[in-house]
Formats: sequence, C-alpha cells, structure tokens
Amino acid sequence: MSDKYALKTWQELPLGGVIPEGGNAADYATGSWRTKRPVWKAEDCIHCLTCWVFCPEEAFGLTDGKTRSGKDRKEISGINYDHCKGCGLCAAECPINKRGKTTAIDFVHEET
Amino acid sequence: MPKTTALTGNGAIAEAMRQIRLDAVPAFPITPSTQIIEDFAGFVADGVVDTELVTVESEHSAMSACIGASLAGGRVMTATASCGFALMWEMLYVAASMRQPVLMTVVNRALSGPINIHPDHGDSMGGRDAGWIQIYAENNQEAYDNMIMAPRIAEHMDVRLPLMVSLDGFIISHAVETMQLEDDERVGAFVGEPQPLYSLLDTDKPASWGALDLQNYYIEHKRGQIQAIANAKSVINDVSAEFAETFGRSYGLFESYRLEDAERVIVAINSIAGEIKETIDILREKGEKVGLLKIRVFRPFPYDEIREALRHAKVVTVLDRSASFGAYGPLFGEIRTALYDLETRPIVYNRVFGLGGRDLFPSDIAEIYAESERYLQAGKAEKVHDILGVRGD
Repeated sequence: MSDKYALKTWQELPLGGVIPEGGNAADYATGSWRTKRPVWKAEDCIHCLTCWVFCPEEAFGLTDGKTRSGKDRKEISGINYDHCKGCGLCAAECPINKRGKTTAIDFVHEET
Repeated sequence: MPKTTALTGNGAIAEAMRQIRLDAVPAFPITPSTQIIEDFAGFVADGVVDTELVTVESEHSAMSACIGASLAGGRVMTATASCGFALMWEMLYVAASMRQPVLMTVVNRALSGPINIHPDHGDSMGGRDAGWIQIYAENNQEAYDNMIMAPRIAEHMDVRLPLMVSLDGFIISHAVETMQLEDDERVGAFVGEPQPLYSLLDTDKPASWGALDLQNYYIEHKRGQIQAIANAKSVINDVSAEFAETFGRSYGLFESYRLEDAERVIVAINSIAGEIKETIDILREKGEKVGLLKIRVFRPFPYDEIREALRHAKVVTVLDRSASFGAYGPLFGEIRTALYDLETRPIVYNRVFGLGGRDLFPSDIAEIYAESERYLQAGKAEKVHDILGVRGD
C-alpha cells in the first residue's frame, strides 16, 4: 500500500468526497471480503473470457496465447485472490458450467 | 442600460435567473414560487436564454438533477417553496456535502398541515442545518440583488457550497414593486463563468463521486464543510462590497435601521422589516429610542457582528416567523447565544408571529415596542416566549 492511502487531514481532502483518479480499485484488496472462492480449472477452460468480462474486480488475469489454429488470442491466466471478493459471478456466467457436463470454475467454501 | 421597472418578487427572481447565465434549471412548480419557473420557461421558449429547462416529476428529482448538472460543471438553479422544499430534504444535504454551488430560491410558505399556502419561515428554517448558505430578502429589489450575488458567493473557491435566497410568499413573491433592473451585460460580467473543480463530462480526468465514507473519513469531510460555510461570511462581505461598487446598492450581513442609539430593538427577518421600519419612524418622531436589526445572512450566522451591533441595546425582541415545536424560535436561539458573551446583557425575549400568513399590522408592532418599554421599566421580561396574534388567552 503506497503513501497515498495514508489517512489525510481535512485540509488535504479533495472537496466533496471526490476521488479524482480512475482505476484505483487496483489498490484495494477486496479479497478480504470473501467467504466463498472460485477455483479456475485451466484444463476445462475454453478462454472465452466471459468470466473476465463479468468480474467486477478485475480479479482475472490475462495472458497472450494462441488458438488451436494458431491465431493470437488472450487467455485466462488465473485468479488474483487479493481482489476476488467471492461474488461468484464468474462461476454463474461460465458457459462450460452452464453446459453442465463439467466445470471450468468451481465455487467452493473458503477453507477455514 | 439599467432600468426602473415594476415587477413581482417572483418576476424579479426570474429576471435575475435570465441574467446570471444558467446552464440548467430542473424545476417542479409549487405555490407561491410557480411564476418564477413560468417566467423562466418563457425565456427558454423564446430563445432568450440557452438554459436546459428540465421538467422533473418531483422536487426530490429537481434537486437531484441540479446536483447532477452541477457535477457536470454547469451553473444550475431551481425554485421551490414549503412542501416542495421539504421533499428535497435528502438531496439538500447531498448538494452541500458534495460541495456543489447549486442555487435556489425558496419562496417562504407554511408547511402542511393543515395545508396553507401563505408565508412563514418554517420551510427554510427547517433546512438551516443542511449546509446551505441562507440569504433572506425583505423586498423585490433585495431578492433580485441577492440572486445576482449568489453565484459569486456559492462558486467562490473558498466556499463551494449551495446557496438559497429566501423571500416571503405572496407578500413579496406576488406583490408588484418598483425596482431597478440592471443591465444584462453588466450582470453577466459581474457573475462571470462557472469554474468547476471537477466535471463528470471531463473524460480526460476520470473521478468518482459519492463514494462511501465511514468512521475514518466522514468527520474530515464535515470539518471541511464547516470551514467552507465559515469562509462564506467574508466572501459574502467581499461580493456585497463589489456589488455596491458596481450597482450602487449596499448590503451587509444584516441591516441596521436606526440602531446606533436604540435602546429597544426588534430583530426580524424578511418582509415584516418594512412595517417595522415605518413604525420605528413614527415612534422616533415621538422621541422613542427604537430600532431594527434585520437578518440578511442566516447561515453562516454572524454571531460576533450581531453581538457588537446589539451591544448598547437594553431590550431585544426577537420575532420568529416559524415555530420550533418544543423549543424557542430558531432566530431567538441564535440571537440569545450571540448576546450571552456580553458583560451587560440586554433583556432578550421571543415572539412568534405570522404562522400561515397571519398578518402583523403596524399597530401590532407599536404594541411590541410598548411591551418592550414596560419590560425596560420592570428590568425583566414577563414572558420569554409567546405567540402573537392568536385567538384565546
């Protein structure tokens, strides 16, 4: 956590509670909220990126990859559990999960 | 060219709105403020202004739309009264805490119930803690002048707060008075263009508005608001001085009328001040040392300045045109607080009058001064709090 998140005095705050920057969700570890966790299974994933689109916290990582026919594409590289807050949208929206034969994202209770 | 003309109070406000270069006016009509938006809608329809008039479905929506348009960087204004003001309640606080210089006219009218359309100050007095600057006007000219000063005060970088201008329903809003209407260009030059700090429409500088604020930050944001409205006092003085230089009419935080040597003083707000001044002139002819302190700025409340102005008074009668149920009137509380630090305190008492538009005649005001003379002789007030002009003992 950088210094910019040190508690500020009232004089240092932007007026009206404005947060005058974008993309700062990356600095906030929403993973501490989680009671259930999605588990991504690389072997069953078709890299349609539906989970990446739906994830409200940008917890899914992307990497460069290739289709079977050799075309460039983005692929899911894994889940960042510092940011995954355990909402389960990814597992609910995953087309492999929806098809019902197998799962590409399991949604399980956190190990305590 | 400035011109002398005859307008209703509402008409005067609409003229000011035409001149202060508003970007958006979201509004919902309510008696007795309706003519303001009717007139302004005429200006929009005739192409006299290029303001976006948003005909919303309620006053809560009107204030919400004002906040949104202000966040987008525009100069925005609305007008309301009474129950419409009450329906804005939640959003009044949001406008102030988001530090948006939204402008509004509150045409003072009694709150329901029983339903009543006539003037008292229960509406705006109820909103006195919402974080808005409150400026009151005795007559059409003052309402117009306050409205022209309003954007300069609200948008000042030391302030950045919403501001409401209040005038009495019907007595001022609907009565035609002769007044001076200033030149469009000179008013435009005086108010200038709004300078937004952040804008929803500025995609090069993305930002978040309305984020959650818990124990670790809420009080710092409130501290900022407290400072901003305290800063407004000197800004109001500065803008009023510049207004006086530009247009020739001079305003302070309050008006002193024959106050310098007055022993018995009435403190009052808005249109009743006119009758009080006339009564004072008659009593002064008879040698009575009576005066008036008329409130202009109620928020921020000028405690120190009022204490100095009333330092030599012996009896102070505070007239409240609203009831705070289970408490003294809201103005009385402020005045007595201001006077507490004096080494020799005057007798201070409270009279509530005019609820729902009940008239207070010059003869009633003469009676108030006669009562204050009896208290001066007795050395104390018989009753600290009473209601004037009500049937039954």
